[in-house]
Amino acid sequence: MNDKDSIGIFFYNLPVSMGEPIDYTELTRYVQSMPQVTKTWLYTDFQWNEDTIRKKVESHNLTRIIIAGALPGTVKGLFSKAMAMSGKDSQSVMLASFNQYGIWSGKDSERARALLLCAIRDIPYEIAATPDDTTVNPVTLIIGAGIAGIQAALEIAGGNNLVYLLEKTGTIGGKMATFDKTFPTLDCAACILTPKMVEVNQHPNIRLMTYCEVKEVKGEAGNFNVRILQKARKVNVTTCIGCGTCAEKCPASAPSEFDAGTTMRKAIYMPFPQAVPNKYMIDAESCIYLKTGKCKACVKACPVPDCINLDEQDKEVSLNVGNIIIATGYKTFDAMKMEQYGYGKYPNVLNALEFERLLNASGPTSGNIHFRSQDKKGNWIFTTESDKPEKLAIIHCVGSRDKNHNKHCSRVCCMYSLKFAHLILEKIPEAEVYEYFIDMRAFGKGYEEFYQRIKEEGVSIIRGKTAKVEEKNGKLLIRGEDIVNSTLIENSVDMVILSTGLEPGEDTKRIGEMLRIPSTADGWFEEANYNTNPTGTFRGGIMLAGSCQGPKDIPDSVAQGSAAAARVLQSIIRGHVSKDVSALSLHDIEKRINELSPVI
Amino acid sequence: MSVRLNPDLRNELVQYGIGDWNACYHCGTCTAMCPLSEEGFLFPRKKIRLMQMGLGDQLEASVEPWLCYYCGDCTTTCPRDANPGELMMSLRRFMTSRYDWTGLSKKFYTSEVWELAWIIFFAILVVLSFVIVLPSFGFHYTSELTADGGVKVNSFAPIRIIETFDWAMAIIVATLLMSNILRMYYAIIWKHTNTKVSLWVHIRELWLLIYNFMVQPKFSKCDSKGYWVSHWFLMSGYTIMFIVIVVFLPWFQTEEILPVYDPQRLLGYYATFGLLFGLFIAIVGRVKKKEVKFQFSHISDWLFLAMLTLTVITGILIHIFRINGMPMATYISYIAHMAILVPMILIEVPFSKWSHLAYRPFAVYIAQLKKNAVPR
Repeated sequence: MNDKDSIGIFFYNLPVSMGEPIDYTELTRYVQSMPQVTKTWLYTDFQWNEDTIRKKVESHNLTRIIIAGALPGTVKGLFSKAMAMSGKDSQSVMLASFNQYGIWSGKDSERARALLLCAIRDIPYEIAATPDDTTVNPVTLIIGAGIAGIQAALEIAGGNNLVYLLEKTGTIGGKMATFDKTFPTLDCAACILTPKMVEVNQHPNIRLMTYCEVKEVKGEAGNFNVRILQKARKVNVTTCIGCGTCAEKCPASAPSEFDAGTTMRKAIYMPFPQAVPNKYMIDAESCIYLKTGKCKACVKACPVPDCINLDEQDKEVSLNVGNIIIATGYKTFDAMKMEQYGYGKYPNVLNALEFERLLNASGPTSGNIHFRSQDKKGNWIFTTESDKPEKLAIIHCVGSRDKNHNKHCSRVCCMYSLKFAHLILEKIPEAEVYEYFIDMRAFGKGYEEFYQRIKEEGVSIIRGKTAKVEEKNGKLLIRGEDIVNSTLIENSVDMVILSTGLEPGEDTKRIGEMLRIPSTADGWFEEANYNTNPTGTFRGGIMLAGSCQGPKDIPDSVAQGSAAAARVLQSIIRGHVSKDVSALSLHDIEKRINELSPVI
Repeated sequence: MSVRLNPDLRNELVQYGIGDWNACYHCGTCTAMCPLSEEGFLFPRKKIRLMQMGLGDQLEASVEPWLCYYCGDCTTTCPRDANPGELMMSLRRFMTSRYDWTGLSKKFYTSEVWELAWIIFFAILVVLSFVIVLPSFGFHYTSELTADGGVKVNSFAPIRIIETFDWAMAIIVATLLMSNILRMYYAIIWKHTNTKVSLWVHIRELWLLIYNFMVQPKFSKCDSKGYWVSHWFLMSGYTIMFIVIVVFLPWFQTEEILPVYDPQRLLGYYATFGLLFGLFIAIVGRVKKKEVKFQFSHISDWLFLAMLTLTVITGILIHIFRINGMPMATYISYIAHMAILVPMILIEVPFSKWSHLAYRPFAVYIAQLKKNAVPR
């Protein structure tokens, strides 16, 4: 630091605003109050190129440049060159990356000022703004019991620490429990997951809380107080023996959530035969007794006295925990939004989760591929009574990489679509399978090999996204363009599978607001640092795992579950955890900077 | 055949309209969505590919932009917001300037100042000829009225001279347009291909030309039937007016006030209604911007609409003032009418948006020829 410093600040490519925009005039006023700062420019002030920047450097005799804004690194080269061209030190170009430190809107203006202050005083933000430690409660709460949450729970509990594993639905296992095979190894998903689920259930350090929702989180890193809504199962989890007599007698039915709505279950039900806990529960919305006050068929049938209590009410539980891991996962894109594909209109246009159930050996058709058909009550369900399709088409990128819906690539669809193609041929060897894709994203270990293998198996993999699906003569007519051969595609098939993309789960927004974790523009939780801290958040003691942070396949979700657990274990072993980054005020940071580098 | 890449093509194309030439990732949705795209004539995606790669010659040899009637389905469903519909529209502007051998079309499309300057220049010429040239030949303003109380138009704007001028203008415009169409034909059928089309096919398919000029059946295949109707009224009204003014001026520009049911007046009223109706729909559409096809207006689109509307309005005024015996007002409207009409026809028809009246039917004809092409 020397007093002859002459700094020019360039505000670059103002970030995608979430909420109120960043007030650049205020920011400019703040930095110009400092003697080292000579002048500031906005991106819109002049056309940025080496020449114009060089002129600014020379006319204002700048010795140092700070580029502030979203992804400033993309323009750093211009500035280094301009500095070199005017005989200055090309190394004196510093970045103040707004997106790296979660500065998205006017709400973060204080952090933006702190970041700029650090850059001006040439002190790394990490040093000046590292929050203080605080003691940590060794109990951990994990929200969401899919594969990522389960993995994290097992890791932390394995280190002899108490874990509360919270799940919104009646069973743990998440989306993975509904799958038949995993790509690219074609392992049986249930064979991997079910032992883990059982382990979670039997683990002495894991407290399983199914059918629960987080209502409120108070406190700060190391000592959170969490209020949880325990929804009434109306079946006693400890005494239920899972015999199923109640469900046999129950007269009411509803579409099964676990089977993605492709079968009917009773109002008293077990989500699926391997559910953990392996107990029944009552769906209050379809139960006749709860609607009319008459029925109680299940109570009469139940062999265990007082096991079913239809009048049980929701209750609230309060927990004190030191760390929280969010593993709320994803939901799939609602294909009804793309009318051109006829999902919801034609029964044999299926979305990915429905087709997963159709393929699943423990699914409604024992893994045989049959047409969707109507039962006596008119519900469209999967049964083995209907015919088998001979020609199937898989359409990629439904709701992904589409500016009308989700801009992001959902990462897993290409691979699961290839898996579908393989499984179809395994089950119906004479079937014709067509895949319509834009770009094939086989990015992981063994994925490209898997793609080549599927190609050799005789699947027609055609480049060109399908534009629309129409019903014609009882078949589904696909219209598209074959990009490679430059021809129009008109293909009549029996069944269409839409590779629906991944979206942030329904609760992402609510949980994000409750825990004060920001989301990126596409709705996924914002991690503390994309490269170096993908499991951390801007709040101390709160971690992310799995696809709530962005679309992920199973191996990546497991890896992130373990990674989040490692951070939790670290804080438990240390006995301390860092407070929120945002807990430091601008005043605190100014004080620290002055301690570290006093103004001469 | 060698392929020449022109890396500057994209920069050139951007001048012809709005569009992100790089956004497309080639999924093919637009082509399959298009109700007019067919085997052998696939668009918009393939054309966007040519633009991105800078294949100017291949673009010049494409008939497809003229086969697009801009329903906007491609733009609505495009997952990349690449706006294929407007890219095709911009491409039509580019093609018009490519066919034009004078180079004026490019100037008009890429520089508003240039276009406005020429319009004003022609308008001044027209005004001067009425104010200075014609009076020096003895044609004067007269406040005298005819027996039935009408304005003596012909003493101010002598039919013989106006008619001669109309013919001259029509011949110039037709020559320019036909030479450009020959260039279009040559580029698509011969220059960049190694196929030929027999003379018999040329004759056999001629009917397509007339049929497509009169009816625009392809336009009606686009999903917006209502726009086809309004466009047809506009087009038929304009064609009738043009024929009447150029070929039958002595019959049309009379001093005598004919009864309302006289064919002369009925035809005039129909043409006026057709023009006004079509213009109203187009202007409201472009202001409201509800339909994709009306969302992105190039300056040339507005100039065309504005000039045609003013021509129609001044034409109506001439008629009203004339039959009500208001000589000064009639003469002023007449001058204004000509001062807008002349530059519009001289600039718009051969060089700008209006050239589509010839390129569109010819494109269908040429596409049909292409289908019947054999190796040479």
